Amino acid sequence: MMSRLLSANVLLGIAPIALIIALWQGLVSFGFAPAVLLPPPGFVFGRLLQQLATWTFQQEIAATLIRLFAGFAIAVVLGVSIGIAAAASPAINAVVRPIVRVLAPLPKVALYPALLLLLGFGHGSKVTLVAADALFPILLSTYYGASTVEQKLIWSAMAAGTPRTQILFRVVLPAAMPSILTGCRIGLVISCIVVFLAEMITSTDGLGHALVTAARTFQAVDMFVPLITISLLGLILNALLGALRSYLLRGFPEA
Amino acid sequence: MTSLAALIRRAAPVLACIGLLVVWQVASLVLKNDSFPTAVEAIWAIPDILGDKEALLNILASLRRMALGFCVAVLISIPLGLLMGRSRSVAAFFNPLLMVIYPVPKAALMPIIMLWLGVGDITKTLVIFLGVSLPVIYHSFEGAKAVEEKMLWSGAAMGLSPSQRLVRIVLPAALPEILTGCRTGLVLALITMITSEMIARQSGAGNILFNALDMGQYDTVFAMIIIVGAMGIFFDAMFERVRARLVRWSEPQFDLPLSFS
Repeated sequence: MMSRLLSANVLLGIAPIALIIALWQGLVSFGFAPAVLLPPPGFVFGRLLQQLATWTFQQEIAATLIRLFAGFAIAVVLGVSIGIAAAASPAINAVVRPIVRVLAPLPKVALYPALLLLLGFGHGSKVTLVAADALFPILLSTYYGASTVEQKLIWSAMAAGTPRTQILFRVVLPAAMPSILTGCRIGLVISCIVVFLAEMITSTDGLGHALVTAARTFQAVDMFVPLITISLLGLILNALLGALRSYLLRGFPEA
Repeated sequence: MTSLAALIRRAAPVLACIGLLVVWQVASLVLKNDSFPTAVEAIWAIPDILGDKEALLNILASLRRMALGFCVAVLISIPLGLLMGRSRSVAAFFNPLLMVIYPVPKAALMPIIMLWLGVGDITKTLVIFLGVSLPVIYHSFEGAKAVEEKMLWSGAAMGLSPSQRLVRIVLPAALPEILTGCRTGLVLALITMITSEMIARQSGAGNILFNALDMGQYDTVFAMIIIVGAMGIFFDAMFERVRARLVRWSEPQFDLPLSFS
């Protein structure tokens, strides 16, 4: 019963995607859109498979992934540690809170020119931009998760003889884990978006650069390929994070 | 005594701004880099930009596109999100599609949409619309899903039709969550606005920023960064005031927007 319900939902979910592809095909084959502007879907997916097999395109993906992971990793480390520190100490909280309040609504992309001037056109400026954008959701949800840990849990751990330094790793961090992982998920999607944008603005390699080169030469097919690739990368990374989440939260109710 | 503490809390963001500017000033004095002007130099360049009639018109045109894209996105996304939250089949229909679209940077669609619709206002507004709608749909969806069933049952028992229930029970109950989504969307609208103008260098605030970068007018670059940043902070603060009025009965879960970009 359950599985039938699930498969019905899956079918229903595939429907709009199939509809869009059908509409896309229809637009091309009935001649509403010239194939130069809107290449047929079969052609685009064929091109995608063909590109995925080439060494140069794999290198573009690798460049994008390296920047994405580096920025995301920095954001996770900084976000989780600052978030927990702010939740644990009122003094740190008093300093961090107003700074976050000012920096969080700032459009970080606008800082990109400054980063370019300071860090050059290489990996450094892009990784920093990704880290700056992914940092705040992770920081905020860590702070929220850590500051709502039940006091009773901490008291029981102390009564059971856990040393103060261990409470952070044994009690607070695990209890805040669901919230931290939610923040990481948002941060991951943001990283995908930002790394692509940064590569579009200035770069010599990466998926964003592939899109811009295609746009300059009006190769519509090659413009769709990087876009589909980044969407697939986002889906794969999201699924991996989901697997990590269900592994880390295996003891939690309703994880 | 409490008023003094409240005063400090109110002034804290301003102090943080000043602190960040001081850090910037010190860093640029220490680094002595030609392409990194001091905070004071950048601030002095702001009146030049705002005094220039063409630049001002550019920035206003950007803001108009942003407002239009944001409003249309909110008007379409909230009903869709609410419907998704209340009906399983609607949610199952749209969820995979949204998941596929989510990691695609909306501004990256610019070059393709430009091929079809040209470089004009429509393209840029459409991209802003796409960028804003996803978080608003997502938050409306989450908000509508969390509405207590008992309230809906009582509404049904009192003879409200399904559409009346959606407007009179689900909408108010989901409002705090919806507004969180709108707040995220607002910051996103600003980000998408800047990026779309960076890609289609024709007019607007993003165009001024990147043209100055190409021409090596570094104080203009940093002045524009301050202007854009100030816009972000200003919009966010304004929206927070509106939000606080509309949903006075609910404490915000996070007092800061959670997801942007």
